[in-house]
Amino acid sequence: MIGRLLRLYRPHLGWLALGTLLALATLLANIGLLTLSGWFIAAMAAAGLTGTAINYFTPAAIIRGLAMIRTGGRYGERLLTHEATFRLIAGLRSWFYQRIEPLAPAGLAELRSGDLLGRLQKDIDRLDAVYLRILMPLVVALLAVALTVFFISLYSPVLALILCLLLLVGGLLLPLWVWHGSRSRGPREVELAGRLRTEAIDLAQGMAELQAYGADRQWIERWQQSAHALVQTQDERRRPQSLSGPALILLAHLAVFATLLIAVPLLRSDLLAPPQLAMLALCAIACFEAITPLPQAFASLSETAEAARRLFGIVDRRPPIEEPSNPRPVPETGEVRFEGVTLRYAPQLPPALDSIELRLPQNSLTLLTGPSGAGKTSVVNLLLRFLDPSEGCIRFAGQDLRAFDSDHWRQRITVVSQDAQLIAGTIRDNLLLGRPDADQGELLAACRQAHILDFIESLPDGLDTWVGETGVNLSGGQARRIAIARALLKSAPLVLLDEPTEGLDRATEREVVEALRSLLQDRTVLLISHRPLPLGEPDQILYLEEGRLRPDD
Amino acid sequence: MAHPGRALRHPFPPPVNDSHATPDEWLKALPGRAARHFRLLRLLAPLTGALIVAQAWLLARIVDSAAFAGEALDSLTPWLLALLPVILLRFLAQWRSERLADLAAAQVKRELRDELIERIAQAGPVHLANQQSGRLAAGLIDAVEAIDPFLARYLPARILMGMVPLVILMVVLPTDWISGIVLLVTAPLVPLFMTLIGRQAERLNQRQWRELARMGGYFLNVLQALPTLKMFNASRREGTRIARVSEDFRRSTMQVLRVAFLTSAVLEFLAAISIALIAVFIGFRLLDGEMAFFHGFFVLLLAPEFYQPLRNFGVQNHARMEAVAAAEQIGRILSLPITSPQSTATTAADDYSGTLSVQGVYFAYGDDRTVLEDLSLEIAPREHLAVVGRSGAGKSTLVNLLLGFIEPDEGSILVGDRPLNACSLAAWRGHIGWVPQRARLFHGSVADNIRLGAPDASMTQVRRAAEAAHALAFIERLPEGFDTLVGEGGQGLSGGQVQRIALARALVRRPDWLLLDEPTAHLDHETERAILETIEALRGRCGIVTIAHRLETLRRADRILVMDRARIVQSGTFEELSRAPGPFAELLHDPAEILP
Repeated sequence: MIGRLLRLYRPHLGWLALGTLLALATLLANIGLLTLSGWFIAAMAAAGLTGTAINYFTPAAIIRGLAMIRTGGRYGERLLTHEATFRLIAGLRSWFYQRIEPLAPAGLAELRSGDLLGRLQKDIDRLDAVYLRILMPLVVALLAVALTVFFISLYSPVLALILCLLLLVGGLLLPLWVWHGSRSRGPREVELAGRLRTEAIDLAQGMAELQAYGADRQWIERWQQSAHALVQTQDERRRPQSLSGPALILLAHLAVFATLLIAVPLLRSDLLAPPQLAMLALCAIACFEAITPLPQAFASLSETAEAARRLFGIVDRRPPIEEPSNPRPVPETGEVRFEGVTLRYAPQLPPALDSIELRLPQNSLTLLTGPSGAGKTSVVNLLLRFLDPSEGCIRFAGQDLRAFDSDHWRQRITVVSQDAQLIAGTIRDNLLLGRPDADQGELLAACRQAHILDFIESLPDGLDTWVGETGVNLSGGQARRIAIARALLKSAPLVLLDEPTEGLDRATEREVVEALRSLLQDRTVLLISHRPLPLGEPDQILYLEEGRLRPDD
Repeated sequence: MAHPGRALRHPFPPPVNDSHATPDEWLKALPGRAARHFRLLRLLAPLTGALIVAQAWLLARIVDSAAFAGEALDSLTPWLLALLPVILLRFLAQWRSERLADLAAAQVKRELRDELIERIAQAGPVHLANQQSGRLAAGLIDAVEAIDPFLARYLPARILMGMVPLVILMVVLPTDWISGIVLLVTAPLVPLFMTLIGRQAERLNQRQWRELARMGGYFLNVLQALPTLKMFNASRREGTRIARVSEDFRRSTMQVLRVAFLTSAVLEFLAAISIALIAVFIGFRLLDGEMAFFHGFFVLLLAPEFYQPLRNFGVQNHARMEAVAAAEQIGRILSLPITSPQSTATTAADDYSGTLSVQGVYFAYGDDRTVLEDLSLEIAPREHLAVVGRSGAGKSTLVNLLLGFIEPDEGSILVGDRPLNACSLAAWRGHIGWVPQRARLFHGSVADNIRLGAPDASMTQVRRAAEAAHALAFIERLPEGFDTLVGEGGQGLSGGQVQRIALARALVRRPDWLLLDEPTAHLDHETERAILETIEALRGRCGIVTIAHRLETLRRADRILVMDRARIVQSGTFEELSRAPGPFAELLHDPAEILP
């Protein structure tokens, strides 16, 4: 999994390496600054005491230089690494969308949209830690610690060894302990947060039913319990983390303590000059800065891995249909034929459609009827190529639908369905879905044909009126007629009407039927409805029951 | 889920709520929710300061004695032994402070989420139908989470910043007044500078949060609309928009971060310059023999400790900005209007089956569009009443009123002889079975969904209700029968199947009143007929109010009300209405209508 993540990082490798180098330079400048300052002060004091001359220009200049590198380096490094990371994150978002788009809707059916949203937003955001909080600090710490320990070993190998041990405790054991504490809780946190989000959406969108059925209190309390559980898990994970910061400082101070114990005798035996004692003491403290970010790095490791696992889990799904590598051009018109079409949603389930044979002759009107659950929606899903048949094939003008690019094929179909909801946006946005390059005149003409123009013109913002989250600011009939105007704009030879007047009152239904008439002229129409609509005499009536077409009666 | 808001043509106007505090004020009051923790933190801060000073003093003493007085390890032992407990105590104080801060944040987050979810419930279904639920969820989860660093890191950093530098200054000034002056002069520059940059950064940051919420709302919409987008070949095109929105978001994120990074860079620069200045002054006085090494080293050790809390505060300042922006988000939830009637009555009457009367009810949604005007009607116990009329005539509003989702602006609704607002709403609703136009299934099993309003119902009762709703056959064909998991929008089930589960949900409660909003919408012909039979079977057992447009439903009703533009324009039985000239007869004799 880490390997897969890193592959996603590859295009940005140059920037990331540069950022790491800058971070290392900054850190070394900081350690050097403190170390040199300690030496400088003590050397000045020694010179003052003995009255000897000292070249203070060079160390003073170096100190100034290091201070500058430290400040500028940190700024530059942060800018660079964050820029690179967020470029990557933005890229990942469209990458993820492009991967799930072919899956929708059949391949994502059991996922709630809140869950998907969590993955698209939060999980991808979490991946920023891979470089910023895990990889870079780790590499920088390793290099900086090696250099510092080498430097100290020049004066006292024993001290270098002790320092090395303390750094190992702080940079490896402590982070491992933190990681251990967060390993199981990280995934649980992600899962709890995801659940909270979906349940919150359920609560907000389903409040009417929950209140009407007196279940609102119970649901709210359950949500609150999950929310408390989330905080509890976070707290358990943080417990070792809140210790790690102070513990690192404790270790740094112990390092100074050890320096004194070892260096003072060296001083006595003249193996060390007095200014070097101050220098080593400060260097010992300073080098702990290198490992400061490591407990945090290890803590976010499991959380990040979990986020990545969730993302890959979706990306790796097989699309419900396979696009041909060399799609054929879709003929302008033609007859639709189902040849022995069987559809199974899962191998162990009974087929949703069983050996269906049907013809939709060009410019004919077919009524497909039957009880709910009989497989009418499956027919729609197959025609729209949201799914492909498990057995048999569907042909258009004699060619298997699987030979076409599914998007090209759908250009030949116009749908008005009970599910074709308006998307959040303006009425214009919705209409433009039907024909992205339509001009104002075409839009208005379509609205007139769909008997919705008067209503739209009565709105203060006209076509630019926002229709809410699922188009809730409109009545059912209005929404349906906008959907019909949208379908009219698409002008495709095949029209699929999936219960087009469901949930409308008589008067509205009549208006919608009026609106539909203009849509149906000279088209091949499949009307799916559990009762006839006054759309004209059907050329054939098909009755679907438990996945089979009933022979004509 | 469009039913409660269906009649709304425009969303509510923004809520007016003067009592609500600004995000800043609200944040200020926040630590009060964990006052005990913060009191302890304030006590630990001066102790930490004192320990820092003691540690520096001991270190300076030991290094000075060893390097310049030539003392051996043995004579330094008392100092070294004193150093150990100081180091240890400092560790303990710091550890405790971190824990306290975490605990405080946890407590506040718990309380906040509890409160916010309650407020969302109080906003009521009719208002919620006009809210972006993705945004609400972001407020509940992300915004509350964004408060955490403010409480757990920013505030403790501020407490330390207010105390530790002060303690250090009090020691440095008498030891070496020149260094003391340098510290004294540069220290106020830090907060000054931060306020200067802070304003700009804060604006950016609030915008960033709005962007995040908007991006979330946009993504949710796209994900929910994917099937529709796909039907119109727009789903691949949407990919470019996703890329653009993400790219815009990255750009605005970087804008915020650039300011934040600049702030901390300047702070670090200030600290570095000051320490260098102090070091140079000390160095030259040491060279000239005007100062003892002990004092010089002591001050030099303290100088970084003086700036550390200031720098740390600068780093954490980002958390405050995020919290302000999050507070704005949270404020949006807190200022949702309370449209759900807040019935204070808790006593439940036993009998809710008496005559339902609506007396002179006026109702308008926020935009002054009157939806009901002087509406009066009576529904007798166990009567089957049908309400017809065009969309926007006020039928759904009537249902919302009866369910107590909204309250009449004028007039009253009586159950028996008790006004509805004097009843416990929960108890009243307990006697209603409601099937909305587009029922919603919640994440859970089919059985759970049927049991929604009757959690204690036995499996037998659930099955019986499912049978009555003609749902039993298809439920048993599901892979796991009643235990099959269904989710948001009832994925995997057809519209008609969802509707029948909703009917079973209504029936299992054995309601006194059945409110059906287009009960046969989405249902195929056969099941429709079967369900009408179910309704027929209920005749005389409970009152039924049906919003209908199918003649078949109407014919069996005891009485039909015809509504038009906020009023009742006709009332009578099917025979009476169809014979008399008027709106109903017009509907009936329309050639475009087909009798099934």
